[in-house]
Amino acid sequence: MYLLAKKIFIFTVLLFVAPTLFAHSINYALENAPAKDVVWFYLTLGFTHIIPAGADHILFVMGLCLLSTNVKTILWQATAFTVAHSVTLALSMKNIVVAPSAVVEPVIALSILFVAVENILLSELKPWRILLVFLFGLIHGMGFASSLNEIGIPPGKFYTSIIAFNVGVEIGQIAIIGAMFGLLIIPLRNKIWYRKRVVYGMSSMIALVALYWSVERIFFSA
Amino acid sequence: MKKNLLYLSLISVFILAAGFVVMKYKTSETKKESAVYQLLERRGAQAQTEEWTTTKKAAEKFTTAIEANPYDKKSLVSLANLMVMEGRATGNYTYYDMAAMKYINNVLAVEPNNFEALTLKALVQLSQHHFADGLATAEAARKINPYNAFVYGILVDGNVEMGHYDSAVAAADKMLSIRPDLRSYARASYLREIHGDYPGAIEAMKMAVDAGAAGDEATEWSRVQLGHLYENIGDLKNAAMQYTFANNERPGYPYPLAGLARIAIAEKDYNKAVAYYQQADSIVNNSTFKGELAFAYKLAGRNAEAKKLIDAAIKEMAASAKAAITDESIGHYSDKELAEIYTRTGDYDKALEHALAEYNRRPENIDVNEMLAWAYYKNGDFDKAIQYIKVAHKTGSQNPTLLCHTGLIFLKAGDKLQAKKYLQDGLKSDPNIFAALKNESTEALKQL
Repeated sequence: MYLLAKKIFIFTVLLFVAPTLFAHSINYALENAPAKDVVWFYLTLGFTHIIPAGADHILFVMGLCLLSTNVKTILWQATAFTVAHSVTLALSMKNIVVAPSAVVEPVIALSILFVAVENILLSELKPWRILLVFLFGLIHGMGFASSLNEIGIPPGKFYTSIIAFNVGVEIGQIAIIGAMFGLLIIPLRNKIWYRKRVVYGMSSMIALVALYWSVERIFFSA
Repeated sequence: MKKNLLYLSLISVFILAAGFVVMKYKTSETKKESAVYQLLERRGAQAQTEEWTTTKKAAEKFTTAIEANPYDKKSLVSLANLMVMEGRATGNYTYYDMAAMKYINNVLAVEPNNFEALTLKALVQLSQHHFADGLATAEAARKINPYNAFVYGILVDGNVEMGHYDSAVAAADKMLSIRPDLRSYARASYLREIHGDYPGAIEAMKMAVDAGAAGDEATEWSRVQLGHLYENIGDLKNAAMQYTFANNERPGYPYPLAGLARIAIAEKDYNKAVAYYQQADSIVNNSTFKGELAFAYKLAGRNAEAKKLIDAAIKEMAASAKAAITDESIGHYSDKELAEIYTRTGDYDKALEHALAEYNRRPENIDVNEMLAWAYYKNGDFDKAIQYIKVAHKTGSQNPTLLCHTGLIFLKAGDKLQAKKYLQDGLKSDPNIFAALKNESTEALKQL
């Protein structure tokens, strides 16, 4: 048992700890730009990476909102998600932890599917949901890193860029949570059919889309 | 109880699915690592040459040696080098660069500071348009051996692509001092052209051609470059002569055929141009040739064929660019080429998007600044176009396409004096440039 655990540990470490080959790409265009321009650029990039470009992240956050009607609980989950993806995003961009997109993208789709099915199976939020969200956040962070790598980071502005990007992502997530609560959960949560129609209905739709993405990313991606 | 069981099943299914994803990835990586890349059969006249027979024999020899000893660094480097050369000869960079990179990485895995492997890796990275990476790798190789002319050649190319022109000139001087040969003369010619010295560029390229053996790939490549220099100064007679020589000396070499096609377009013999491009396209799979053939079809009035080919070229470039993002060891950054093709097809938003993507990688390069300025011009943002076109002139290049672009941009921005100056300079020698640009520039100049 110990040997198996050791093997799994080494296997995981070898998969995610990157050789020097995977250094993050450089954005030379912003090398000499003033700090405020860099902040604005990466903040906007982070936000647009969620809205409108991040359909998978949007569905994930929507899925998180469906199991509880308490905004505070959801914000705690969103915070756990943000902390987790901030950690792996920074580590990935710093070339310390990197996973190939061939692994990250399908697992992101699977995480959405998991949250959606969990919404259907459970009638109330369990205390370990926050831990699961944290773990999924670690994976999503690596997905953010591969997108950020397409643009690159200007030399000498690593932390400014990463923090601004994360703030942008966070604003995007809060916007989705705000929209979910403002337009759907608060107006409808006291309806007798809320769970049956809203939670089951939306979770089923999210699950179907996530299932499609999972199959596509596992079997049909180049 | 039932729900708990279902929930446990959900967790199990998730873990199994995630495990499957990881295993599938590991299997595909192992498969890639153990893949053996064979030479692909050449097509047309290139398959009839003696050089092809020699290449096949050499590949067989190296492959056999590697099969006997997978850590035979000398054979791995030689095979990687052969794959690079074959990629250049056939234009199938996608396959041969991937093959070369595999053998190079095999060497670097056992000896990270192997000079030959690092040099070849830099060469492949430049070929894939991963210029910053290529330059960094070449610098690492130079530190190991600062007396090798070849690595200075790569440093010239990498610095030019990154827009570090002073460093490129310094590397070229060093290269010439170590080994004055075809490769160093060709680099000197290119740098002179960039700095606006066409007579000097022609003189150096003639020296490059004279330094090589007729029929060799490098010699005929230089001859084609010489032809292109003549095209830019409007000397079509000499350009055609160089392309004809190259075509005779190295039958089935696609680049002189493309040159002859451009001459045919200048002579308004569009069907002849189509025939030349078709011949070139049948030899190598090159998206630039496909794009040029498509525009020749258009000029010949064959619009349906043109559209089909442009769509295919865009699809191919986009697929390669996508591969470059998902796997850094392969895939060709094609944003500049895509921006160019989109400006020609009138899809200006996409042109700007790709021009900006390339600018993010190399904001100092004059060609990239020109491309971005032109994309802004086509999108009607003349202030931004002026901003970038000024950077494109920082080396004093007298490239007629650049001069015409600049003239048209200044005209739209309302500076008629500058517009007239640039358009006159651009058109004064009647250069052979893209027909639509030449017509637009000529018409604009008439109004000034």
